[in-house]
Parts: sequence; structure tokens; C-alpha cells
Amino acid sequence: METPKPEIPKVTLPQMETLTETSARIASRSGPPSPASATVEPRWARWALIGTAVAFLSLFLLLPLVAVFTEAFRLGVGLYVAAITDPDALSAIRLTLLTAAIAVPLNTIFGLAAAWSITRFEFPGKNLLGTLIDLPFAVSPVIAGLIFVLLLGARSHLGGWLNAHDINIIFAAPGIIIATAFVTFPFVARELIPVMDAAGIDEELAALTLGASGWQMFIRVTLPKIKWGLLYGIVICNARAMGEFGAVSVVSGHIRGLTNTMPLAVEILYNDYQFSAAFAVASLLTLLALITLGAKAILDRREELKIRRSLIVDRTNLAA
Amino acid sequence: MSISIKNVTRRFGNFVALDNVSLEIQTGELVALLGPSGSGKTTLLRIIAGLDAPDSGSVHFDHEETSNLSVRERNVGFVFQHYALFRHMTVFENIAFGLRVRPRRSRPSEKEIRKRVEDLLKLVQLEWAGGRFPSQLSGGQRQRIALARALAVEPRVLLLDEPFGALDAHVREELRRWLRRLHDEMHITGVFVTHDQEEALEVANRVVVLNGGHIEQVGTPEELYHHPASPFVYNFLGNVNLFHGRVRNGKVYVRETQIAVDGNDGNDSNHNELNGSQDQPAMVYVRPHLLDIHTKPHGRNSFPAVVTHINAAGPKVKVELTSGWGDPVQVELDHERFRELGIERDAHVFLSARENRVFVYNI
Repeated sequence: METPKPEIPKVTLPQMETLTETSARIASRSGPPSPASATVEPRWARWALIGTAVAFLSLFLLLPLVAVFTEAFRLGVGLYVAAITDPDALSAIRLTLLTAAIAVPLNTIFGLAAAWSITRFEFPGKNLLGTLIDLPFAVSPVIAGLIFVLLLGARSHLGGWLNAHDINIIFAAPGIIIATAFVTFPFVARELIPVMDAAGIDEELAALTLGASGWQMFIRVTLPKIKWGLLYGIVICNARAMGEFGAVSVVSGHIRGLTNTMPLAVEILYNDYQFSAAFAVASLLTLLALITLGAKAILDRREELKIRRSLIVDRTNLAA
Repeated sequence: MSISIKNVTRRFGNFVALDNVSLEIQTGELVALLGPSGSGKTTLLRIIAGLDAPDSGSVHFDHEETSNLSVRERNVGFVFQHYALFRHMTVFENIAFGLRVRPRRSRPSEKEIRKRVEDLLKLVQLEWAGGRFPSQLSGGQRQRIALARALAVEPRVLLLDEPFGALDAHVREELRRWLRRLHDEMHITGVFVTHDQEEALEVANRVVVLNGGHIEQVGTPEELYHHPASPFVYNFLGNVNLFHGRVRNGKVYVRETQIAVDGNDGNDSNHNELNGSQDQPAMVYVRPHLLDIHTKPHGRNSFPAVVTHINAAGPKVKVELTSGWGDPVQVELDHERFRELGIERDAHVFLSARENRVFVYNI
């Protein structure tokens, strides 16, 4: 195949030329196209694909995102601040943060325990446990909420007993936390299981033969190995815990200033035709989501950098 | 430290990995556990280390029962086949790990730890590698670091699981010699698992051949090679030709050819096996280098064969033949003898055995 020869700058000190420069020059001068360029689609196809993806994202993600913030500020900053400092709104924010603060650590501990037992031990019912972890993914959140109402509500035996002892779970904060914990429990475990599977168990065994206790082994060997997977799981779990609507809606009872979380507050304000206030709270929720996504992106980037750095070091090592 | 293994049995479901195995390992010995995969060698090593527990039987360290000791209390150095270095720690921190996890009372000072690690790095000839991460080292270097890490805690016994299995042939040979020297200097009791007979014979003081969960033979490399106790051991320790024959009146016949039986020294168990047996089927094992090729019939003890392939690249010339009754036969000759014979492919020749080992079926 004839390719036009690009201008090659004159090399003044040929003996200083590195091997890579030489090979790059040879590659650019002539010879068959590299395998990479052979599989690349024509230019128009590339732009069509990129264009489709960007248009889709703009229409379904960027546009609503912008809409949330413009609607929130439509009636001015003053009303925005008033909307989010309203006592009911503040109470919803508090309850959402409280729910996440309890549900996320709980599911982190559960996720670690579940991932550890599934990847490290052989026991009867192991496959069943793996399937059960996915249950909240399969069940509609509304049904999840309903299960807890039936289980712990006033009409059940357990609910009757709780009532008699003056413990409120359904239509109170504990119910919201339980429902949220249920809906979000697969996230950490699902992130960790493949990571721990891939990491294997030899390093842990080596730590034990070197005299480490079980706790030392976990803190010094296991945790550093899985920390990015774990953080990633926590971030995703947190995003869902703050945004959960369906299950929480069923168990909450919608008592303003008491059992409303932020997603519920948005719905109530919207139904009351307080659009700006609804969008103001929604914008806060969106902001929390954006922060969470930002944290996830930083984690991704760190991981990628780590891999790239170790590759670079390996290469310099080989060259040395 | 001496190790004694008493009647150890270990099952995995229906599979019997170790079947009533007993073994004594003396202080300062370097013992190889040799066998094919599934023979139970790694299971035995893991049971000694405490990484696995026997279903029945016991392991004693210096006459002390160990079944109540956890892995961390046994004070063994364990080297894994795939190194198992802590990938998020530098080489220095990897070696220091065993010292740093000690309880504060017995933990050495930072200065002592530094000294210890540097000494060990010198021992494994990787002084420059302390600041590197395991991923920056080659396989052979990683395995040496794994060894240094295991030695850092001054173990009572060093256990190595296929230590050279993942390395290429050249590095493997170098590390073998190095381990041999290291053991000679340190006199630490060592047990290593291998499926490579050459490695076992070259490195170990004593070799334990395992097969299907039981011990076939225990002995020095010489004993094993020259006096294998069973067809399995003979087969496992190098190439071998197998002929099906019969024993009549204390003599071995393959078809009508009488195969010479290592005649005069009389120390062989062969004779005992043969004398007691009257006209029975027998299996005759002959190593390729113990067969000779002749261009003419060589007394009554030779049988005809046809040359099918010649490979002269190597220290010995490898000749493949087909015997008169159709079995494949391998012969190894000196280059000198090969030139003398001047044989080529498809040549009709005669084979005779210089020495062999016969196993008699018990029917």
C-alpha cells in the first residue's frame, strides 16, 4: 500500500536516537498500517457514534439536571434559601443524613462479612446466600417497604408487641432506616465479592504463618488489598441510601417534620404546587448525588493512575 | 527441629488425599515430598504448617503434639508457589512484616528490624531491592524475597510448596543450587514439595515419594534411583521402557528372549522376587540408557527391533525403535557408540539389556 511519506525532521545526532524513536520513525515512514488502525471505523461512523451518545446524554441527563437548578432558582436566591431552611425541609435533610449514616456503616459491615464468607469458606447454602444478597435488586422497593409494614406494623403480632412496649418502628425513623438498609444491602457485598475472589487467599495465609493475628491480617493485608473496591461500594451504597423513595415512602407515613426524607419532601412540596421549593430540595439531593459521583470518579482515577504508575515503573525497570 | 507425622489421614469429600501416612523427619534434614498431582504431597505440607488439619493422626514437633497449635503458634516458615508477597508493601516491609506483627513485648526495635531485614536482603542477594514493590521484581527475585520473609521470623522449620514451579528452567536450576547452599549453611529443617524428580534428587537429603495418598518409598536420592521399591517409583524417577514378559524357573523372558537380570552382584531384590515365583506374568522395566544396540544378534539375550527416529541433539543420542513384537522402545547411547554403529532410520538392529529391574505380578 502506498502512503504519502511524512516529512521527517533531520536528526542531527543519530547516535543519540533512542530505540523507541527509531521504531516510531520506521513505523510512521512506511510499512503496513498498524493493527490498531486496521480495526478503526471510518471517520463518519466514529462521529455518528459519538454524536448519538452525546445527544442522548444531553437529552436525558444534562437537560433535566440543568432544569432542576434553573427551576430551583427561578424565583430568586432568597426564596431558594428560604425553601431549604424551612423547618420541615431541614428536618427532611437531617433524617436523610441520619438514615445514610446508619444504613451505610451497617451495610459495610454486612457486605464485608458476606463477601468474606462467600469467597473464603465452603459451607452448605453458599449459593443460596449469594442469591439472597441480590434479593433487594430483584424485589420492587415498594414491596420491600410493604413487607416491613406487614411484619412490624400495628396489625402484626410483632407490631402489637412493639406497640405494647411503646416502641415505634413503622411510620417512624427506625422503619425508614430499616427499609433503607434492606434496599441498599447488596451494594457493598456485590462490589467486594469479585475483588476478593480475584485477590485470592495466599497473602492472608502468608500473614498467618508469619505470626499475625486474625485482626492484624485483616487490617494489614486484606483491607489494603480491597480498599478501593470497598470505598466504591460504600459510595454507591450511600448514593442509593440518600435517594431511596419507594420503600421509604411505604413505611414513612409522610409526617411532615418527623418522617419525611428528602425524596419524600420533594414529592410533597410538588404535590402542594410549591414547585420552586420542590426543586430547591431536589437540587440539594442532586448536589449530594453529584458529590457522590465525583468521589467515585476520583476513586476510579486513583486506581487507574496506580495501575499506570506500576506499568511505567515496570518498564523503566526492564530498560535498566 | 525434628518432625514426626503419625498415621495422618485427610479426606476431601470422597477423595482420600492422605491415607494413614507416617513419616519421620530428622533435625537439619532437607526432605523432598515428590509425587504427581493429587498424590497428597501439598496436603501433607499444609498439615505440617497447620494450614490444614488431619481428619485423624497427629503431627509432632520435637515430640510436642501440635494439633492444639494454630498456624501462628507453630513458628514455621512457609514459602508459597506463587510467592504470596504483600503487593501493597515494599520488599523491605514484606520482610519486616513477621517482626512488626509481634506483640509489643517481643517486638524488636526499629533499628533491630532494619538490621535484620538488611541482613536477609544480603543473604538472598537483593540488597538493592528493599524499596521496590513486588510487582517490579522478576519471578526468581520474588521467590527469594518470599524466602527472606519466611526466614525473618527465625522459623523452626522451613516449608516450601513447589518453590520453583512457576519459574523458567534456567532460573529454576540456579535457585535450586542456591537453596541447596543456603540449607548447607543454615542447617534449618526443611521440607519442600515438588513434582519434578530431578529437582527432588538434586536438592534433597532424603526424598519421600508419594502416590495416591500413601508413601511409596522414602530414601536418599541414590537409594531411590538405584533401588526403587515399586514399579511406580521406578517409573516416576526418569524415562523407562516397559516390557510384558513371563518368569520361568527364576529367569525372565520377553517372548522367547531371555532378558538379562543384573547378574552377578546378587544384592538385588530382583533375585528374591524371581526365585519365589514360578511361571508368572512379569513386568520388565529397563531404562533407555541401560539398553544397547547391536547390528548383529548378540547372544541369546538380544531381540530384534527397527529404528524409527534418531535425535542426536543433546548429551546423549536418543534412538526410538519398534521391537520385533511391535512395542515402542527408547534407547540412549553415547555419541561415540552411535558413530561406531553407524545406524540410520529403518535400520534392522538387535537390542540387549545391560541391567534391568523386574517386577513380578502377584496372581
